[in-house]
Amino acid sequence: MLPRPFSLKLCALSLALMTSAVAAAQQKGDSALVMPELRQVVVTGTRSPKPLLKTPVLTQVISQEDIRLSDATDIRELLTQVLPGVEFTYAQNQQVHLNFSGFGGQSVLLLVDGERLAGETMDDVDFSRLSTLNIDHIEIVKGASSALYGSNAAGGVINIITKEIVKPLGVTIAARLGRHDSQRYSARLETADSHLGNTFSLLRSAEDNYSLSSDAEAKARVVSTVFGDKTWHFDDRLSYRLSPSLRLSGRAGYFFRQTERSRETPERYRDFNAGLRTVWTVDRKSSLEAAWSFDQYDKSSYLRQQGLDVRSYSDVQNAVRLLYNRNIGADVLTAGADFLYDYLLNTKLSPARRSDKSADAFAQYDMRINDLWEIVAALRYDYYPDRDMNRLTPKVSLRHTPLPHLNVRFGYGMGFRAPTLKEMYYNFDMMGIWTIEGNPRLRAETSHNFNLSMEYTRGRYSFLLNGYCNSVRNKITSGNPYYASADELTPRLPYVNIRRFFVSGIEASARARWSRRLSARLSYAYVHEQTMRSRDGEALASPYLPSRRHSLTGHIDWSRDFSPRYGLDIALDGRLLSSMDNKEYINYYDISQGMTSVHYPAYTMWKLFVCNRFSKHLRLNLTLDNLLNYRPRYYYLNSPLTDGTNVMIGLELAL
Amino acid sequence: MAEWGRRAAVLVCGALAVALTSCEGVFSGIYDNDSDSGEQRLKADEIYIDAADWDYWYYVDLDSLLTLRSSGDSAALYRALRTHDARPIPRDSVEAVPADSAGIYTYWFDIFGKGLSVYERRSYRPTASQAEPPHWTFAVHRDNVRTNGCAVYETSYTSLSQLPDSSAAFRDAQFQADTWSERDVWTDRTAMLSCLMGSEGIKINQVLSSWLTVNIPPIPPTFTYNGHVFILRLPDGRCAALRLKSYMDSAGTKCKLTIEYRFPY
Repeated sequence: MLPRPFSLKLCALSLALMTSAVAAAQQKGDSALVMPELRQVVVTGTRSPKPLLKTPVLTQVISQEDIRLSDATDIRELLTQVLPGVEFTYAQNQQVHLNFSGFGGQSVLLLVDGERLAGETMDDVDFSRLSTLNIDHIEIVKGASSALYGSNAAGGVINIITKEIVKPLGVTIAARLGRHDSQRYSARLETADSHLGNTFSLLRSAEDNYSLSSDAEAKARVVSTVFGDKTWHFDDRLSYRLSPSLRLSGRAGYFFRQTERSRETPERYRDFNAGLRTVWTVDRKSSLEAAWSFDQYDKSSYLRQQGLDVRSYSDVQNAVRLLYNRNIGADVLTAGADFLYDYLLNTKLSPARRSDKSADAFAQYDMRINDLWEIVAALRYDYYPDRDMNRLTPKVSLRHTPLPHLNVRFGYGMGFRAPTLKEMYYNFDMMGIWTIEGNPRLRAETSHNFNLSMEYTRGRYSFLLNGYCNSVRNKITSGNPYYASADELTPRLPYVNIRRFFVSGIEASARARWSRRLSARLSYAYVHEQTMRSRDGEALASPYLPSRRHSLTGHIDWSRDFSPRYGLDIALDGRLLSSMDNKEYINYYDISQGMTSVHYPAYTMWKLFVCNRFSKHLRLNLTLDNLLNYRPRYYYLNSPLTDGTNVMIGLELAL
Repeated sequence: MAEWGRRAAVLVCGALAVALTSCEGVFSGIYDNDSDSGEQRLKADEIYIDAADWDYWYYVDLDSLLTLRSSGDSAALYRALRTHDARPIPRDSVEAVPADSAGIYTYWFDIFGKGLSVYERRSYRPTASQAEPPHWTFAVHRDNVRTNGCAVYETSYTSLSQLPDSSAAFRDAQFQADTWSERDVWTDRTAMLSCLMGSEGIKINQVLSSWLTVNIPPIPPTFTYNGHVFILRLPDGRCAALRLKSYMDSAGTKCKLTIEYRFPY
C-alpha cells in the first residue's frame, strides 16, 4: 500500500495542479473549444446520446484519431497503450487476463455497440477478436454500471462503437509487416446510396511463436515461449433507411484464431455473430430501439495428423433488447428491457451442456435542473428464473458546473455479478493436479461504487481529476485447494465467495491541443487493490496478479502538410508502470511451502509511429514498438512479453 | 455498386436467418465430434482403449483379435476392439522386496519449474506385482505402454499403407525390449501439489511409449504424438504394426486411444 503521507501529497499535488491550471486558463480568457474529441457524443453512461462534456456520468473516449495514431491491431494493444491503470497479464498457459483498475475480466463489461460478447477463457473474453479496423471510438465508463447494463458491470463498461458508413464508395487496403514474421493485412469496402449502406471488412493477422530467456534463479515461474496467433476477421454491416423515421441495420461476422502451443494439436477459436437493430424515431421527442444479437464463441483442438477438429467449448448467447428514450423538456426518460438466453457446451462442466436465462427491466430519469445542475437516477431489476435469483441495482450520477468550463461529477452505483455457469458447475480434473470445482451455492457478487471527479476544459486545455472507491461483497474467485476427504487422490480447487474486497484509486489527466498540428496528453492512475482473503482471513492464491499501484501514459503527436501531395504525422506514446512486490506462493501448487515476495520491477515502454501521407490516398507507416529496447530480466507472468524493439512497416491505400 | 450493396444485404440477411434458427449454436457440422463419437467411427483394423484412468492397465491380446477376425464374428470382434481386460495397479503394501521390484516409487519432479527432466527419488513402498491376464500382447496405461516379452522398433512411416510388404524389411533394425521404469507410470497423485508423484515400478517399452508424450511445462501439460508406425516383434518372431491414430475422444478427453494395427505383419 502507498504510504499515507505520500497518498496525501499526491492528492494535494493533483489538486494544486488542477487549481493552477484553472487559474491559468481563466487568465487567458475563454476561447472556442479546439479539441474535436471533446465534442464527441457518447451513449454509454446513460444509454442516450449526450455530449461528452455535458454527460453527468464521467466518460473517457478513445477517439478514431487516437486509434489511428496508435497503430494497434486489437483492443488489448490499444487499451494498454492509451489508458493508465490497465494491464494485460497472463494466467496459466498465457491466457490473457485484463486488470482494469483493480477489476478483472468478469467485472468489466466489454460491449460492441452495446452488445455483450460470448465466451471466456480464465474469466476474460477473447480480446484478439476485437480488432481496431472497424472501431469509430471507444467509450469507457469506470465504476459500477449494473443499473444500466446488469451483471458483470461492477468495475466499469468498455463500449466499442463501430464506424458509421460515411462515403458513397470507399475502399481501404492496408498491410503491415514486423518481427517474428508478424503480418497484418486488411481491406475495407463501404458503399451507400440514399437508402442502403453496406460495409465489409476483412483482417488477417499472424505472428510466429518466439522464445524468451530469463536470467538464472528466478523466484517464480517464467515464460519461455510467447505463442503467436493467426487470425481471420470478417465483418459485414448494412444499414437500410426504410423511411425518414425508421432505420434498420444488420450485421454478420466471423472470427478465427489459431494458436500453436503444440504442433500436433493447435488450438482453434471461432466466433460467429449476427445482429439486427431497428431504430424508430417516433416523433421529435421520443425514439424506440429494438435489437436482437447472436454471438457464438467456440474452442476446439485440431488433431493435425487425423485432420479432426474436436470442439470442447461453445458459448451461444441470444439477446433481445428494447430501449425507449423520451425527451421531456430538457429531461430524458430512458426505459428498457433485455432477455438473454445463454447456452454453454463445455466438456469441463458436469454435465457438459447447460443453459441459463436472464431477464431485466430498467428505467432512468435524466433531469437537467438548469445549466449548472444535472442529475441522473437509474434503477434496474434483473431476474434469473433458472436459479431463482434476482437483484435490484440503483445508480445516481450528478453533474454540477460551479464555474464556467468546470464540471464536478459525483456518482454512486451498485454493481452486481451473477455467478457464471462455469463458476457454478465446473468439474475439471486438470491432469491430476487438482479438480477445479464449481460451486452451485455461490451467491451473487455485489458492490458499491462511489466516484468524484473534476473536469476543467477550456480552449486548448482539458484537465481531469477523478477519485473512486469500490467496496465489493461476496466477490467470486477461486479459493485455496483442499482435500475433501483423506481418501481423495486429487485436491479440489473450488470457486468461493469472499466476504469483502476493496479497490480505490485516483486518476489525473491533462490534454492539450496547441494547434491542429500538435497535441499531447498525460494520464496518471493510482490503484489500490486489497489483498483477497478467504472468510477465515487466509490470503487466497489467486491465479491473477493485482494492479500496479502507479501507472502513467503519455502521448504527443505532431502533424504537418508540407504540400498538397505530402504530409507527415508523428506520434509518440509511452507508459510507465511502477514496480510491485507481490506476495505469492513459493510454489503455487504446494501452498504448504509458504509465501514469498516476488519483485516485478518498474518499466517503461515507448512506441513511435510515423505516417507519411502521399496525397489523400497513400500512406507509408513506420512503427517502432518498445523504442528503448526494454527486456525484463525475468519474464514472470506479469512482465511485458517483449524481446526488444520491434520495427514494423505498413502501407495503406485509400480510395 | 448499389447492386453490390444489395447483394451484401441478401448475404447478411441469410446469415441472420441461419443464426436465428438456433439457440444452441450454428455450424456444428464443421467440427468432427458433434455427429458421431470417435468410438462409433472405429474401423475394423482399429483398437480403441479408454486409458484415461490413472489406476488401471488395459491389456490387448492380438492373438484373440486374430481368432475373432478369422471366425467371422464381426460383432464379437467389434466388442473386443473396444473392450479390454483392465487390471488395477496394486496399492497395498507388502513386505520389502529386492530393488527393481514391484511397488510405488515416489519421485520429486520440478513440475512447475524446469520440467520432468529434473527429479529426485524420495521413497519406495513395495506392493504386490502387477496382475496380468493369461494371454496378452501389449498393455496401456495412459501414455505408457508395456509388452508381453516383445520388442519394438519405431519406423519413420506415418501410415500403415506405406509399410513394406513384409516385416522382413525390418529384420536388421534395432528392436528394443521393455526396460525397468520407476518414474513413468504415474499413479499416485496424492502429493502432486508438492511435485511428488508416485509411480508404479514396472517394465515398460520406452520406444512404444514414445508414441504419446506428455510435456511439462507448460501447465496444464500438453501432449505430443508423432503418428509413426511401430513394429512390434512378438517372442515367437511374428510381427505386428501399430500406429497411434488419436489420443483424444470426441469430447477432447485425453488418453482415449485409437490404435491402427496390422497383425500378423
